[in-house]
Amino acid sequence: MGEHLGVGIGWRLEIDLTVERMQGVDFVEVVAENVHRDHLPESLRVLRERGLPVLPHAVSLSLGGAEPLDTARVEHLGAVGELLDAPLVSDHVCFVRAGGLDSGHLMPVPRTRAALDVLVANVNQARSILGRPLALENIAALLRWPDAELTEAQFLTELVERTDCLLLLDVANMWANALNLGEDPVDLLDGLPLERLAYVHVAGGVEIDGVYHDTHAHAVPQGVLDLLAQLCERVRPPGVLLERDDRYPSDAVLADELAAIRAVVAG
Amino acid sequence: MSREDLAAAQGELLRALLAGGSAPSGFDPDALRVEATSLLAKRRRIVSQLDPDTAENLGERFTELFAEYAIVNPRQAGSRFRDDAAAFAEWAVEHGHMTPPRPERRWWRRKG
Repeated sequence: MGEHLGVGIGWRLEIDLTVERMQGVDFVEVVAENVHRDHLPESLRVLRERGLPVLPHAVSLSLGGAEPLDTARVEHLGAVGELLDAPLVSDHVCFVRAGGLDSGHLMPVPRTRAALDVLVANVNQARSILGRPLALENIAALLRWPDAELTEAQFLTELVERTDCLLLLDVANMWANALNLGEDPVDLLDGLPLERLAYVHVAGGVEIDGVYHDTHAHAVPQGVLDLLAQLCERVRPPGVLLERDDRYPSDAVLADELAAIRAVVAG
Repeated sequence: MSREDLAAAQGELLRALLAGGSAPSGFDPDALRVEATSLLAKRRRIVSQLDPDTAENLGERFTELFAEYAIVNPRQAGSRFRDDAAAFAEWAVEHGHMTPPRPERRWWRRKG
């Protein structure tokens, strides 16, 4: 299990003062690609000075990509982790680049042995560069690859166990996959090695034409909080973090969402 | 399946989603459409945030024109969204959808 973090929120430039002033923020996360490797935005410096953990979260390593790992991106993540003295860093179980193109968003990998072997090799290589614990996050997918050989729980479990990584569990992504792909989130909760949990992501989304989009730009649905509650019945998560990336609501609304998360965690 | 085969399959999927490539076998065509639309919407949103002037300039036609541009100009690995926004503005001018923006006037420019 990862170290205790508490309740947190994703730090974004657009809400930096909001995050600084908000009561009851125990830790924050910053998108690693959005900061320089050698100096911090003033707001993050202030938060670090207060002793708040700031965890770099990467979106561009493409750890599930079959092309050679882009080690410069891994080095950047490691440097940001060093600058923040972060207890851990993270990225997703996905690919974003292939065949010379960039998807601009997190794409699922096939749940096959071959794809798992590629991920394990890339993650091991990344870990050798990073020099600090790495947590891997489950993503929300809008499509699935054919010919799956493993369930999502089996795939993620084997991945973190073979690479000795932590899990960053996104319950909003689980909620999205339940609605869009018919995945059973309870099977996933039951099948994952929750003793490897680093922290949890919570976010909002919106349903358009029967498809749930994990936008990080809308309110957190009750279904996501219910999943968080189901997780908390099984394990006390070391941390839970709210991700909000766009269409920022008032400070009061964000504070209410954090309070709702805190209430679920407190049981 | 080798690493090479997986790389080819991932490339084929991205070409189908981003560049109008044919649908790879075994995928649900509806899901491919939904994913392609979602990726395009995200890209368009980011470009409109980086270059609101062009989006505003094109008004109601922005969405349609961006889709037209995007499919023949899929984002290349290693490129930045800023490059994408600049390339789209250039494309819109080249195709006669807007006039080139006037060079920025500097408030400190000397008179005369």
